[in-house]
Amino acid sequence: MLWKSLSDVAGRGAAIVQCVCFMDVFSNHVLQIQQCIGPSMLPTFNIRGDILVTERLSVKLGKIRVGDVVMARSPSDPRMVVCKRILGLEGDTITVVSDKGGSAKIPKGHVWLQGDNFHKSRDSREYGPVPSALLQGRVFYRIWPPQGWGFVG
Amino acid sequence: MLWKSLSDVAGRGAAIVQCVCFMDVFSNHVLQIQQCIGPSMLPTFNIRGDILVTERLSVKLGKIRVGDVVMARSPSDPRMVVCKRILGLEGDTITVFYHLQIPKGHVWLQGDNFHKSRDSREYGPVPSALLQGRVFYRIWPPQGWGFVGRIPSQSV
Repeated sequence: MLWKSLSDVAGRGAAIVQCVCFMDVFSNHVLQIQQCIGPSMLPTFNIRGDILVTERLSVKLGKIRVGDVVMARSPSDPRMVVCKRILGLEGDTITVVSDKGGSAKIPKGHVWLQGDNFHKSRDSREYGPVPSALLQGRVFYRIWPPQGWGFVG
Repeated sequence: MLWKSLSDVAGRGAAIVQCVCFMDVFSNHVLQIQQCIGPSMLPTFNIRGDILVTERLSVKLGKIRVGDVVMARSPSDPRMVVCKRILGLEGDTITVFYHLQIPKGHVWLQGDNFHKSRDSREYGPVPSALLQGRVFYRIWPPQGWGFVGRIPSQSV
């Protein structure tokens, strides 16, 4: 009787582990649901946090284009994920409109990230071009708030 | 009869998928077996490629120390993984030909082979978010079996 109960519990435990494993693999390699909080992507995304669907394939295949919105690991805090737009790819020349001004050529293996909110975004204007290896995925669909449902262009 | 064969195949397919899923999760979050090829970590590792065991937890918990050998995504090529030693953490001052303070969220990577390594001396401090794992054990070549320490091997 005890043995049957233990084996039931083990069976359910195994099923849960398999589920979690599968979800982890799916969100790391295919699609992930993430939130973009903060003012840096106004007016595109809200301050209080839009819920977005990110696809992993474009980044893995190197098929990111200028204008894509991406989720990336922050270069200044490895535990933080930021949500910005790609304004330049490797080899492009960016003209920086900031206190320092000037142009920057984006080195090999890097991209230029910038928030849509020109005045309130910490991005490549502050920390420079970002290694493409920090990119996690491309934001392509918004699922919250309901009035914002739809593709992210 | 056909239905039973299909359901056997499906059962085996499901078992294979579960295995692959589990291995993927294990190698992304716990331990991974990787190879370090090239001259940049001589004499510690061989040119032709030592097989190493990397643990993922130290990086995830932010417990990397100066002297650790790490695998990291290359800042100049997102498809490449490099194998270097940590010579400085955020806030440390590194002396190359000048003094440089390592910014927040970054580390200084350098190969043990002073003369033949492309590392932070070339591409600058590297964001810690590029670090994948800490190399802690070598399993090939057989004469090199053992823990990988925080002190570079000396030339013989």
